[in-house]
Amino acid sequence: MIINHQILVLGGGPAGLNAAKYAANAGADVGLIDSGVRLGGQYWRHTGDISVDHAMHHNFDQGSLLIDAVLTNPQIKVYLECQIWSVSIVNDSIVLRSLFQIFQTQKLIIATGAYDRSIPFPGWDIPGVITAGAAQALLKGSGVIAGKNIVVAGTGPFLLPVAAGISRHGGNIVGVLEAAYKTSWVKGITTLIRSPFKIVEGFGYIKTLRKNKVELRFGHAVTAAHAGADGLLESVTVANIDRNFNVKSTYSLKCDVAAISWGFTPDTSIAGALDVRQRVNHDGSVIIEVDDDQRAIQSNALIEIYAAGESTGIGGSELALAEGAIAGLAAAHDPGISNQLRKLRRRAQKFAHTLSKVYPVASGWQSWLTSETLICRCEEVTYQTVREAAEELGAIDARGAKLMTRCGMGMCQGRICGRSISDLFDGNQVDRIQFASRPIITPITLGELAQEGLL
Amino acid sequence: MKNNPDAIIIGAGVIGVSTALELTSAGLKVLILDRGSVASGTTSAGEGNILVSDKEPGPELDLALRSRNAWFELDEAIGGGFELEAKCGVVVARTELGVGKLRRLTTAQRQHGITAHDICSDELHELEPNLSPSIEYGTYYPQDAQCQPMLATARMLSSIKNRGGEFISGATVTGILVQGGRVSGVVTNRGRFSAPVVINAAGTWAGPIAELAGSYLPIAPRRGFILVSVPTRPLIFHKVYDADYVANVASNNSDLQTSAVVEGTKSGTILIGASRERVGFRTGIDFTVLRILAQQAIELFPILSDIQLLRAYRGFRPYAPDHLPVIGEDPGIRGLWHNAGHEGAGIGLAPGSAQLLSDGILGKSSFMSSDAFSPSRFTAELAK
Repeated sequence: MIINHQILVLGGGPAGLNAAKYAANAGADVGLIDSGVRLGGQYWRHTGDISVDHAMHHNFDQGSLLIDAVLTNPQIKVYLECQIWSVSIVNDSIVLRSLFQIFQTQKLIIATGAYDRSIPFPGWDIPGVITAGAAQALLKGSGVIAGKNIVVAGTGPFLLPVAAGISRHGGNIVGVLEAAYKTSWVKGITTLIRSPFKIVEGFGYIKTLRKNKVELRFGHAVTAAHAGADGLLESVTVANIDRNFNVKSTYSLKCDVAAISWGFTPDTSIAGALDVRQRVNHDGSVIIEVDDDQRAIQSNALIEIYAAGESTGIGGSELALAEGAIAGLAAAHDPGISNQLRKLRRRAQKFAHTLSKVYPVASGWQSWLTSETLICRCEEVTYQTVREAAEELGAIDARGAKLMTRCGMGMCQGRICGRSISDLFDGNQVDRIQFASRPIITPITLGELAQEGLL
Repeated sequence: MKNNPDAIIIGAGVIGVSTALELTSAGLKVLILDRGSVASGTTSAGEGNILVSDKEPGPELDLALRSRNAWFELDEAIGGGFELEAKCGVVVARTELGVGKLRRLTTAQRQHGITAHDICSDELHELEPNLSPSIEYGTYYPQDAQCQPMLATARMLSSIKNRGGEFISGATVTGILVQGGRVSGVVTNRGRFSAPVVINAAGTWAGPIAELAGSYLPIAPRRGFILVSVPTRPLIFHKVYDADYVANVASNNSDLQTSAVVEGTKSGTILIGASRERVGFRTGIDFTVLRILAQQAIELFPILSDIQLLRAYRGFRPYAPDHLPVIGEDPGIRGLWHNAGHEGAGIGLAPGSAQLLSDGILGKSSFMSSDAFSPSRFTAELAK
């Protein structure tokens, strides 16, 4: 079955929702595709039970209003639980393939968001070590607290709502370890003040953590995880680190879950298949390059591709909403993109930029690795093996390392380790972009691929 | 480098590095240049085939047989480390016409030193229990083998470096120096290098390199896709392909040709090739090609229908109009040697080609005549 829409939006988080809403309000016929069971994306992930959802989110009102606006708009057709496994350009049309449908359009808005960034350290493959986003998804999507004694660690403003959320719902947080220094954190406050909503939000989390006597430590990181006799996480090594992430001193902390995230990695998997221009952002992540109208740069004049939200650079929900609105209007060819909207985007961009400076991931994490530390968990490739590929076999980039050691070749296709491998090789722009491209977005069976009628 | 090299090799793929290794063993000092890194072109885009089964009798088969044995000698010589495996091939025929063709091919191959056992239903399904029950005829080729070509090339390169050879990555050749009909060196973005012998081993990109010297090689890209499954329990035990593959390889049609080549790997994944089409260096993925490959693989192994596809990749084979590699000295420029155009058989043919070229450079007699591979065969075409 081939489904046509004037505009297709891929991703139902803040950026995609707003893009669909604005495009539809400008008169366009819109299809909104998301792999989840409910709209909202990671940011507004919810259970569907109103009382639970309002308790889990600090501002679910905004999300539920937007989701309702999209669901009730007759101009928007929503496709949920629809996992797109590939995208390509066929005969000057954009084709998106799910298991049961083929979508065809001339205008695509990419709003695929981001996922947690992990960096490897000894023991990060022990059951019980998860990402902060996973802990958050368990809480927001299912009302489940990830463990009995939880360490939240890594860097970024996201750690606070994760820890506060778990704490508020009765989970025991044994420590929040923020790698950034308090002084640089305070420096960011000047920008934070210009966004009063954000500062109220931030202080709210800190208040919750204080009330529940949760310790928040700056300049600290989890540098190793240790399993007990049962193979499950029993404790972590916490290090006092310098600004380059080198270890100054360590102590041990008992826990059964360590929720660790180092910011986010934009999901640009499909950009390579569509041949849209990408670049490496100031924080080292690969992003889709867009113009002032959120339009991506590509060579086919008969199609239009836009991108909004985290896939154009990590910036949070407010920036995603502004970018989504602009992308939606631009795709609908609405001449009325207001200066106010562009101003809103600029302000949110500045805010995001400052945040990324407050929470850098310094290269010193590489000193935490031992020879046996797995770099690629899917294919179980150790740091030693990757180093040998570089020193003895002449691998000079992530691609070379991958082809010689299989790192990044497993089930996740480098989503988890790709960025770190590029960092280990101090990879150039081309290598980083290639490593982030995944033409088969999600595995499908060969039987499904073999179906007649597949474009 | 302190002293000028005896030979410069353009291209650090399996062909260039094999050639450099051969020359190093003969006592020459080599300099290898590549615009990328080691094995970053077509070498890294195939399955690592070392096949004799897909060759019709002729000079390429002789080269393939010598090469196949040379791979195993090399494995001993450099201490392994590149997953060389006598994987053995199983070629199946599904139509009466196909069976007849296959039987004629194997009869001819046996006369040229290939071990090919014609087998029927029971034996076939004992070798490959998951093969479609409707397939009743095939041939078993115990000489077909496989290696990990990136590792093979990288290991050979370290061996060369240990013996004083040099490699510069990121060096794009922008000019070839010719004086009085004789090559004298190359110009790159990393500087000028002088040598009395320059070897063009640039694979799919060998045409433009020849052009830099004012010469001509009609080598064009022939695109191919490979599907890779998620890791599974062992399902496929040999390199299994449809007899139509041999005809496809030899075809001169620029349109799409596909014939499933299916095999399991040590890492548990299943690889499915092979498509052939001449569409230039077109990027992106053509899902129609992927669909046909999946269909053909399932026809051979119905069990694959439920196995998940993890990824797909493509490469560009160096295609010469007569499907034969170009191995020998340039007809117009002395000291300029070509070793390129091995199409989809470059891994398998590498050590033999290297030996043939090296013997040519050193003026030694070789294990076979290189006349069929001579670059001068295109001169007549150029004159037209």
